[in-house]
Amino acid sequence: MDLLPSPEQSEVIESSRSFLAARMSTARTRALFEAGTTPAVDPSAWSAAAELGWFALGLPVAHDGIGGGLVDEALLFREIGRAATPGPFVSTVLAARVAAFGGVASLAEEITSGRRVGLAVTGSTPRDVQLIDASDGLVLLVTPQRASIVEVAALDGVTTVPCVDPTVHLQRAVAPSGLMSVATVASVESDVDPIERRANVLIAATLTGISEWARDTSAEHAKHRVQFDRAIGVNQAIKHPCADSAVQAQLAYAQFLFAALAIDEGRPDAELQALNAFVTAAAAAEFATATTVQVLGGMGFTHEHDAHLYVKRVALWSQTLGGTPSRLSRLLAQPEPA
Amino acid sequence: MDLAFSAADDAFRDEVRTWLAENAPTERRPRSGQAARDFDLGWQRKMYDAGWGGVAWPVAYGGRDLPLTQQLIWYEEYARTGLRPIDTRFVGLAHAGPTLMARATPEQRTFHLEKILRGDVVWCQGFSEPEAGSDLASLRTRAVVDGDELVVTGQKIWTSYADVADWQELLVRTNPDVPKHKGITWVICDMRLPGIDVRPIRTMDGGADFNEVFYDEVRIPLTNVVGDIDEGWSVAMSTLSFERGTAFTISQVQLASSVERLIEMARRRTSINGTPVITDGALAERLARARADCAALRALTYLGISKNARSDQPGPEGSMMKLQYADVAKRIYRLGIEILGARSLAIPDDEDDTEWVDRHLLAFSSSIGGGTSEIQRNIIGERVLGLPR
Repeated sequence: MDLLPSPEQSEVIESSRSFLAARMSTARTRALFEAGTTPAVDPSAWSAAAELGWFALGLPVAHDGIGGGLVDEALLFREIGRAATPGPFVSTVLAARVAAFGGVASLAEEITSGRRVGLAVTGSTPRDVQLIDASDGLVLLVTPQRASIVEVAALDGVTTVPCVDPTVHLQRAVAPSGLMSVATVASVESDVDPIERRANVLIAATLTGISEWARDTSAEHAKHRVQFDRAIGVNQAIKHPCADSAVQAQLAYAQFLFAALAIDEGRPDAELQALNAFVTAAAAAEFATATTVQVLGGMGFTHEHDAHLYVKRVALWSQTLGGTPSRLSRLLAQPEPA
Repeated sequence: MDLAFSAADDAFRDEVRTWLAENAPTERRPRSGQAARDFDLGWQRKMYDAGWGGVAWPVAYGGRDLPLTQQLIWYEEYARTGLRPIDTRFVGLAHAGPTLMARATPEQRTFHLEKILRGDVVWCQGFSEPEAGSDLASLRTRAVVDGDELVVTGQKIWTSYADVADWQELLVRTNPDVPKHKGITWVICDMRLPGIDVRPIRTMDGGADFNEVFYDEVRIPLTNVVGDIDEGWSVAMSTLSFERGTAFTISQVQLASSVERLIEMARRRTSINGTPVITDGALAERLARARADCAALRALTYLGISKNARSDQPGPEGSMMKLQYADVAKRIYRLGIEILGARSLAIPDDEDDTEWVDRHLLAFSSSIGGGTSEIQRNIIGERVLGLPR
């Protein structure tokens, strides 16, 4: 039992951090969405990420992947969260897996080489569909039972609509006989490979990175902002929410590591751990980002400060594949943890 | 990274589980007083004789000095016995003993350590005072050197088990004219010395373990001072950091098993409208969160132990665990009361019900004792995040 990153893992974390800072900074993100480009990520930076092997990291060597664990992918997604990086990373990584395990090796290769796959989620009725970052024509559909890749062209009435998160490319579409009956390009059942379970962990890791950014940003401001002749961080009304952000972020970090390893090692409580990774990380991210906005005061409420980009990422990831309530019900129905 | 334990660790777990199943006391522990002391020390002696007296203690002092992972396993298995995490042995084994190892003279160590491990003696802690709670360093119990003795006059409070203790780790003010952290001395006090008066404090959970201790010109030999005169603060700090070690695992595992029993109870019992309690959506959500909170607390424990196994500098997980545990425990035992419903009003004769009422009341102390939650938040804010004091 050891939950500390190995030297190799630490190196990957460090290099992904520098890559994200250099190629996908929030300054670059802002320039892109202000020019009307969504998802607000450079195609060249995306290709570079593909060359770094980001989309093949957790794919088995037998499927031409790098053969890392879910825990390696999760550590990368924590950095993606910390940097508020836009783009369909979660759905693309999972789609590569669906294509590979679904027996469509050529598509897997295309995705790991840089074709982006968005995410399809149901809208107000089973016929209504929302497509997130599906600008390359493919979307991933994830349920607890199975995961499939669907072509956007197989849907009717696709229209682009503005998204609350300005970095997101959002479309609405109609699936006349329901999203579940659209023809799939590739599909994997959960008992073959539990994609939804992995999604919970990757989303949790993303939300944890966001929580850690929020924790650090709140603390940094509380240290330096002076009012009434002293740094505001001396006040417990500021200090204690900062401390609570740190506790929640650390719980979220520990829990997603536990869940990722539980899946990698095939533990019987893997499902419970993965559901809890999501639940714990969503709560942490909501609390920590709300705390950041509050600690920053007026600046936290501006468009100019990055805080709102993080708040909107949290809103996206804490709702997209179902929220906390449905996961809590499933968590309670699970057998006692191992 | 891995979650799995090694084959050697799995074998160790089997050995521990078997030994505890065959040897742990199954009768109910007396609630307090001499009978509780006899129960605890009898159990300690049994563990000592079998080589389990001090899993974290160095071999030189009769312990096993297990690697942290095996300490974790020991505490996880110990938790299954249902024995409480803290009893009359706690201060000796987890506070005074480790402090003596770190700071005492060879004579002091030889005299005291084996007695603690063998279950011959009970220690208590004389730290808090009526005017020195969270601000411990402002303590005022006065000690004056007179010949080869310290003469102590003053008062301590919240002293668990003082009524049945043989020895006390006592902090006294030996120099009132220097900054408050500098004039404190850590001394071993014999609880049977003349001039000591122990008065019980009843607590809201019906417990009778707390006491006030009064000192009226109590004469303690100078040879009982640990570290130097006026150096007691640094001696005391080595004690406080030991409290947040692996032993906390027992509380965490028992809380998780309480939640599983609550879930069982909610499936079995019916609410006022005749349906199983668990079908109440609001209660079900709270049970699910309770389970989630316990799983996350366990993950944090594993992360903390992983860090401590590789570093002598304990990470912030200790304060975080204590803070989070207190919050979660209060919520969970409150939930127990709600599932019991009005049955929780009468002092129950059903042992199972009694336990939930007791734990609910006891949980109020979890965010006060051993450093309040407010102080834990200050520690995390200042030492982890670097916020100004």
